[in-house]
Amino acid sequence: MDERWLLEDQIRHNRRATVWLFVVVFAVLWGLVLSVGILLGYPPVLTAGFALVFGVVYLLTASGFSVEAILRSARARPANPQVRQEKLLLYKVEELALAAGIPVPKTYVTPSRDLNAFATGRKPEEGVIAVTQGALDALDQEELEGVLAHEMSHILNQDIRVQTYAIALIGIIAMIAEMVWWGMIFGRGGDRRGGDPRVQLVLFVVALAFIILAPLLSRLVYMAISRNREYLADASGARLTRNPDGLARALTKIAGTEPKESHRGDRTVASLYLANPFKRVRKANLWSTHPPIDERIRRLGRM
Amino acid sequence: MAFPWVPVLVGVAVVILVFWVIGLYNKFVRLENRIDNAWAQIDVQLQRRGELIPNLMETVKGYMKHERETLESVTNARAALMKATDPASKMAAEGILEQALGRLFAVAEAYPDLKANTNFLQLQDELTHTENKIAFTRQHYNDSVLAYNNAVEQFPANLVAKATGRQEKAMLEVPEETKAVPKVQF
Repeated sequence: MDERWLLEDQIRHNRRATVWLFVVVFAVLWGLVLSVGILLGYPPVLTAGFALVFGVVYLLTASGFSVEAILRSARARPANPQVRQEKLLLYKVEELALAAGIPVPKTYVTPSRDLNAFATGRKPEEGVIAVTQGALDALDQEELEGVLAHEMSHILNQDIRVQTYAIALIGIIAMIAEMVWWGMIFGRGGDRRGGDPRVQLVLFVVALAFIILAPLLSRLVYMAISRNREYLADASGARLTRNPDGLARALTKIAGTEPKESHRGDRTVASLYLANPFKRVRKANLWSTHPPIDERIRRLGRM
Repeated sequence: MAFPWVPVLVGVAVVILVFWVIGLYNKFVRLENRIDNAWAQIDVQLQRRGELIPNLMETVKGYMKHERETLESVTNARAALMKATDPASKMAAEGILEQALGRLFAVAEAYPDLKANTNFLQLQDELTHTENKIAFTRQHYNDSVLAYNNAVEQFPANLVAKATGRQEKAMLEVPEETKAVPKVQF
């Protein structure tokens, strides 16, 4: 894939990939439910119905996360237009919102010395962008613009929603798997309506393997979704600024630093950040929320 | 009596067609509004630029006594912008103004006192801000025009577009002369 991708194509490609990842998560979830039904001997229809109601309720409650709590845990404060540095930040955010055609997100500054930024908010109309003091000090206007465009794209692509639902789905899968464990320990075990015992055994083993693997698998898929969304935000950010170079240079600067302080906030927020706030990713890693920075820079260079 | 298949099927087809046309019509209206809104945003910024420049001139005047030509070109460009009425001529005037301002800010580099003036700094920041906003909104405008043109020209939607008197719209071009970085001589 050496030829240059049209930005539009790359964005479409990434979107499709995300849809497929979600399909896989859903398939895993339903496979899990079916396995539960087989293992416990309940009619699959009943189990599936229960899981559906359970899942919907869970998704609804999970989407009511608190923007304020995220901002508080990052000790973020609203950008101050009296300070030139932050005034220019507010200007840039406003400019990029115009480019994206969305309402101007609220802009915050966090006291961290780390070079980072994140976006949150339930929907594009309530977007929030926060930048660390470290990033404000170290990045020039062009680099900052690239970083902000990346965050703006997270809002534009509704990644926060994708993130929330993905986390909720993983929660369900893990919970069901756990329930089955307890069910198998205390429950009726493997005896049920007869049939070929060999078929029963195979089904039992497959179902058991699935229950063990499902939480692992869904976690992996979630990480893949997260990495995919990072590439997507890089690409659509570059489309906003018409300048992939700014973000590439900012990422180069970030790659040269290590996270300066331990972040207190919970790890589920990690995937919202521009770069992984816990450690710098250098090699492709299945368990990482962020793709390796070098690969991101390489892809930006190809645009 | 047999079930009247033909009338029912024709009826269903007509209903689907009607909904399709309504949907398309609304899509056209939505895309048109997006373009109009983008232009309105640009217009606000152009207005704001026009208001900022007298302040800038007032601030700069005392420091740059020997740069009459540079100052005059900004004043003239502003006057042309305020006189322009349609989008194309407004953007053309804005291009010239942008160039003149670029020259002024470049010349200002040679005046340390002026560069230390907070008022000047603030005006420079804000003028750059409005300039960027215009550039980004033009981009959004052109993206919106592209989306609209695609919707209007593609078959079979173009039939509905033609029937309602819609045709493709022009993008806002960047005037050739403003693409070149102005040369400054001290």
